[in-house]
Amino acid sequence: MRKKLLAIGLLALGLSLGQAEELRVLTHSSFALSKALIQKFERETGIKLRFIEGGDAGETLNKAILTKDAPIADVLFGVDNTFLSRALEAGIFEPYVSPEVRNLRSETILDPTLHAIPVDYGYVALNYDKDYFKDQPLPTTFAKLADPKFARLLVVENPATSSPGLAFLLATVSAFGEDGYLEFWARLRDGGVRVAKGWSEAYFAAFTRYGGDRPLVVSYTTSPAAEVYFSEGKYKEPHTGNLLFPKSSFFQVEFVGILKGTKHRKAAERFVDWLLSKEVQEDIPLNMWVFPARRDARLPEVFRFAEVPTQPAKLAPDAIARNRERWIRAWTAVVLKGQDPRNAR
Amino acid sequence: MQRPALLLLALFLLGALLYPLARVVALGAGPGFFEVLADPYYWGRLLWSLEYGLVSAAAVLVLAVPLAYGLGYAFPGRAAWVALAGVPFVLPTLVVAAGFLALVGPRGLLGINLVGTPLVLVWASVFYNLGFAARILHGLLARAGQELEAAARTLGAGPFRAFLRVTLPVLSPGLLAAGGLTFIYTFASFGVPLLLGGYRYATLEVEIYRLLAFELDFPRASALVLWQVAVLAATSLGYLWAGRRIAGGLAVGEPKALPPKGRWLLAGALWGGLLLLLLPLFALFAASLAAPEGFGLGNYRRLLAPEASYFAPSLTQALSNTLRFSFAALLLALPAGLFYALAARGGGVLVEVLGLLPLFVSPVSLGVGYLLAYPGLRASAFLLVLAYATLGYPLLARALVPALRGISEELLGAAATLGAGPWRRLVRVELPLVRPALLAGSALALGSAIGEFGATLLLVRPEWATLTVAIYERLGKPGLANYGEAMAMSVVLALVSGVLFFAFARGAELG
Repeated sequence: MRKKLLAIGLLALGLSLGQAEELRVLTHSSFALSKALIQKFERETGIKLRFIEGGDAGETLNKAILTKDAPIADVLFGVDNTFLSRALEAGIFEPYVSPEVRNLRSETILDPTLHAIPVDYGYVALNYDKDYFKDQPLPTTFAKLADPKFARLLVVENPATSSPGLAFLLATVSAFGEDGYLEFWARLRDGGVRVAKGWSEAYFAAFTRYGGDRPLVVSYTTSPAAEVYFSEGKYKEPHTGNLLFPKSSFFQVEFVGILKGTKHRKAAERFVDWLLSKEVQEDIPLNMWVFPARRDARLPEVFRFAEVPTQPAKLAPDAIARNRERWIRAWTAVVLKGQDPRNAR
Repeated sequence: MQRPALLLLALFLLGALLYPLARVVALGAGPGFFEVLADPYYWGRLLWSLEYGLVSAAAVLVLAVPLAYGLGYAFPGRAAWVALAGVPFVLPTLVVAAGFLALVGPRGLLGINLVGTPLVLVWASVFYNLGFAARILHGLLARAGQELEAAARTLGAGPFRAFLRVTLPVLSPGLLAAGGLTFIYTFASFGVPLLLGGYRYATLEVEIYRLLAFELDFPRASALVLWQVAVLAATSLGYLWAGRRIAGGLAVGEPKALPPKGRWLLAGALWGGLLLLLLPLFALFAASLAAPEGFGLGNYRRLLAPEASYFAPSLTQALSNTLRFSFAALLLALPAGLFYALAARGGGVLVEVLGLLPLFVSPVSLGVGYLLAYPGLRASAFLLVLAYATLGYPLLARALVPALRGISEELLGAAATLGAGPWRRLVRVELPLVRPALLAGSALALGSAIGEFGATLLLVRPEWATLTVAIYERLGKPGLANYGEAMAMSVVLALVSGVLFFAFARGAELG
């Protein structure tokens, strides 16, 4: 019996060594796809997928940059447009003109050289608890959000550690300008805004819908749809609403790229094509709660609760690149250290 | 024997410590230095780290003095009390952080959330350092203090005056040493402030990590490393000076008798205090049993489920990574520690400073240095093992030096007369004689590697996640299941380090 097991084991080992090519995919920790689809890909291509989580979006990218001389993966998924310039400047990607690119929405293609290939997009936006605001007024403009009576109801993510936090900071820069955004934040601070480390802490711990005490939260326009979906039939309508003012939401695109120096270029190309295929693109919304970049991908029914803002904030990737660290540092000085906006700039 | 040992050690230190440090200094003294200097934000970080260290040291000393007095008397369970009070000191920082999360975190047992307040940070530092501080002070008191105080009182001094004029001077080197060590450990602490401090109460060490991991800002991170090394070097040298005056202070003295009523009063106070101190550990254990599916072993079962997870490192993976890296590091730390001890046997200030060098360099700073010095080796297992060995060998060496000094010259002379060369003497005479110290030192080095977190976070490849990294990752994810698994993993980590530590320490006792 034991001999038999050993033989089977050796056989399996031999097969796995001889046959399956392993593709290492570095992702941020919010990456998710249906297991069945992943297994189907592995079966059909003979490529074994190994997903490596690198932390938050920014942290994951930094790991790829730090190790570019000895890459820890073949493919990187999850760089977004707030970090795109850093990835491109560091030169970690090889360009790949996937045949599927022509099916993608043109506004998502922010890197025309196709080092970074769009996979999905979404909108970081303010959410509110409908039950809480049933008999209370909501803010009527973006600027009024900083009034003390609303600021003390709001939880945001720290832009230094969280990509929705950074996206919302960029939205305030876009809405109030270089001269005004820090004053806006100083008013939020004085009004008692709460700062969470990341999205899950803000949404699942501080937001009133999940037992917290803040009925206003920075999240995504898809969050109401997710709420209905995960209630498993309990709610027909979301109890969370999107609070959309001009430039209060931020257009966010996520990219995939083939890491320079990979020894599995062909497998990496197949993986990228697969990510952009109709089947996977239609699987993305219910797993990652973002919109597929592919034009002809059908959205799940529940996405009718996911709004598309008419006037999102948009900043050019190179403007973000030049100022990102300075904005974050000034934000930290004003909001966390309580400095006067005039000294923090 | 001294010269080749010194040479090999120098080679190791050059590659593992000095060259990476030199790279950090070269970069940190550049433009980043002035940027950091001009930014009040970083001054705030430095001031808070100093404040955190000083306040914690003061809190530890205020609590340790009465404990040291109490330890001087016999009370039921005294030996067990002393052993248990030493437990926090050998616990990995992530276990401690998880314990405080379980007690006073957002889902804590006490129902109050202290995360993000300075209170929980100082409390954690007291948790760590109180036990050994009390023992240092007790050692001093046992030798001189209490008799002297009694004498002073017989001569007419009031209790307060006797304490001020007699006991305090006797205790002062111990206060300096215990306070200094607490300051060093707290000032450069990483895991606890990272997990419990929030953004506002980040130490320099946390800030260095963030600058690198989130902003990839080598110049600024290196400049902050320079600040930190400067503070640590100054304090460590002070500690070295104070430490010379309390040599042998860790022994637990013979207890004096108390009347029965006093005995039980003292036992109640000391045991009550200890249980209060260890509360985070009980909370951790309880939290690990609170699974989303109900009270029981659910969290542990999920960790052991053979279902191959695509995304999170399983318990077996993480455990085997931790053990592999730690034992590999021990293989490297053993010769390094031994050579250092052989070189240091003769004494000499230079060698002693050399031995303290790793104390100046915090784990995260070491990680920054390695990333800078060896870009081609980034994310290789070798750098991780090298870091563990560098952080661990001084612990080994410090256990070995007194043992080696204790071997009589005559014995070695006799072996030489009988024709044994220096290597043969080392292997056949000296090593067998210092075996207990070697085992105890190895236990300390191994323990430090198993619980290492700061350097690991910077150097590890994501798929080689160790226990500490796997716990940290789970704590960062939403949901009760992840939280419960993190708690269960922390219990496993505490048990692994505890079992290994006691196995080696027991081996040391049996000699």
